[in-house]
Amino acid sequence: MELATSHLVVDFGPHRALDDVSLHFPLGSQLLLYGPSGGGKTTLLKALAGLVLPTRGQVLWNGRDRLTLSRGETRDAQAHMGMVFQTDALFDTLTVERNVALPLERKGLSAAAVEEKVANALARVGLKAAAQKRPEHLSGGMRKRAGIARALVMEPWVLFADDPLAGLDPETAAGISALLLEVSHGRTLIAAMPDPHPSLPLARTLRLTPMARDVDNRSTA
Amino acid sequence: MRAFVRSSGASALLFSRTVKAVRRDGLTLRALLEQLHELIGRSAFLVTLGMAFFGTVIVTIAYAQARKYTGNITLVGPAYFELMVREFGPLTVALLLASRAGASASAEQASMSVNEQIDALTLSGIDPLAYLVAPRVLACAIGLPLLTVLGTVAASLGAALTVTHSFGADGRSFIDPQFVDSGDVMCAGVKAVLCGLYIPLAASARAITAQGGAQAVGRAVTTGVVEACMGCLVIDFVVAAAFWGITR
Amino acid sequence: MNTAAPLRTLGRVALPGIRAAGALTLVLARTLRHLPHLSGRECLRSLVLYGYQSLPLTLGVGTLAGATVVLQAGIYAERFGARQYLGWAGGYAVLWEFGPLLLGLVMAGRVGARNAAELALLKTNGQLEGLRGISLDPFRYLVAPRVVASAVAITCLATLTYFVAALWETVAAYFALGLPARVFLGSFADMLRPNDVLGSLLKTAVFGTAIALVSTAAGLAAQGGARGVGRAAAAAVVFGCASIFALDFLITPLLARWLT
Repeated sequence: MELATSHLVVDFGPHRALDDVSLHFPLGSQLLLYGPSGGGKTTLLKALAGLVLPTRGQVLWNGRDRLTLSRGETRDAQAHMGMVFQTDALFDTLTVERNVALPLERKGLSAAAVEEKVANALARVGLKAAAQKRPEHLSGGMRKRAGIARALVMEPWVLFADDPLAGLDPETAAGISALLLEVSHGRTLIAAMPDPHPSLPLARTLRLTPMARDVDNRSTA
Repeated sequence: MRAFVRSSGASALLFSRTVKAVRRDGLTLRALLEQLHELIGRSAFLVTLGMAFFGTVIVTIAYAQARKYTGNITLVGPAYFELMVREFGPLTVALLLASRAGASASAEQASMSVNEQIDALTLSGIDPLAYLVAPRVLACAIGLPLLTVLGTVAASLGAALTVTHSFGADGRSFIDPQFVDSGDVMCAGVKAVLCGLYIPLAASARAITAQGGAQAVGRAVTTGVVEACMGCLVIDFVVAAAFWGITR
Repeated sequence: MNTAAPLRTLGRVALPGIRAAGALTLVLARTLRHLPHLSGRECLRSLVLYGYQSLPLTLGVGTLAGATVVLQAGIYAERFGARQYLGWAGGYAVLWEFGPLLLGLVMAGRVGARNAAELALLKTNGQLEGLRGISLDPFRYLVAPRVVASAVAITCLATLTYFVAALWETVAAYFALGLPARVFLGSFADMLRPNDVLGSLLKTAVFGTAIALVSTAAGLAAQGGARGVGRAAAAAVVFGCASIFALDFLITPLLARWLT
């Protein structure tokens, strides 16, 4: 299970979000993307997850160009990717439990199996007691945990975390960092943040800037 | 004009992609019923009251005109009823739905897109088109013809009652179907189904890809409503012209 | 408990209504108060945004409305004979009733939603509060110009729509019905008196003001980020449409009595 980009370019209209990015992630690797907003961190995460299409270049999932995959293959591949979104992206109309169960909806599992998987995921992030609450009644840290549980429920091999510590107090941020490091064991972890955070030391870092991109670490990446 | 061509092209593309998505993923009855309630049921009050007012206003003007020229308002009644059935009813109700349902659907989907919920659905293996767009399209295509019947009845009754009680003439001429033939009813039906398909597509086309915070949501709602309204006007004219060409 | 239930229901229905009426009155009163000393630049900017940028849409609506009217009138003209009043009476009533209403609906979508979204953005971004922080009245600098610009833009665009619609009707009547332009415009002049035109314009001015007030109140009531902005814009459209139908119902009989 590996992930790579090759000369990836992403444009939004006249604005170039990513310019010629080539990266390679074998299973279990870690990368921290950092830099000011507008640098393309979120775009890179979403391109890797197949949510944003490349303008030029390639996103490779297990060596295969994402654009050449059929819709079914794309969906199968995406089913084993988890993302913790910047905005949490939880549905306020659903309980935490139903939010976490969302990725299992189309799997044809029995209700008992779904319940078990959801309970496991919630237990791992320490949210078992809040299963029946709605996300709007949760604190920022708990919402993040619910988002992590949803990302984990499909047992993904890669975990994307888009600015997971934004808006959290230092103590909560440290807790979320520890949780991310713990649950990403044996998985690829790619995180994006404005600045490196001492509580989330990842093996490699890459700085993305809006105008010209620095090349530090790119050769090793 | 170019903007209009682009938006109708976007809606056509969205339609074909939505149909494909539903073929793959299916559509639950529950989602359809939810949208029927949300988009159609909740518009029923606005449509009924608005159209009753509209019928009253139309005869007030007809009365003013009739007093000047023909003297007898009941003479124009059957012609007005036909006009109501084939033209005023379908178009005005479609515009009301375009405003009410178009605005709420595009506001909801644009905020979902901005809040990354649409990305979350995709990564959860749920096709946003099958999950969000398809139930709304089907609900409006089924619901708008029903709302059109409701609105036309409300407007005609409003007109008839106004004529009887305010002008002291025989209001029954405004619900006299002597000019209404199957062509009129078919024309109204075709308009209602096509507008019903188009409204949610126009509302969703910009909304489900909205990017960039609250500003993008505001923009998506504005363009969604306007494109839905314009689409209804164009559909109304094209269908009316086609039926005119067939029946003349 | 049981005696309180009906009261509670009444309160649930009446309170939002009273609150909305209060909000509208407040917007109207504060706009009128600031009318003599408005920021000209902000007015101009809003006029361009709401008015000038809606021109293509207005031309489109005028064209479609005109063509539709001729098409419908043509059906009757064929049935009853082109110069018979019965056939044309339908067409004119259509124009003078349908025109303002149609345009009002489209403008509620275009200008109303836009105005509400803009104000909701200013509100949720804290810009309105920010101005107050440096002791400038946000209503005078940001809100009142938008109210005025919306009302003026809609009224002007409506007037333009009439001319466009009439022009296209003449063209369509010539090609579809073979009616020479002079005959068509002549029957126009026979059927319509200046008062009728004035009445329609008055109506659109009322609609324009209503849309401006409703959308401003909706925008200023917005809360909470992207979702709030979306809700405000949607509310502006729905309540704008509803108020147009209600006002149409209320003022048409008055206009009809006053003008005839």
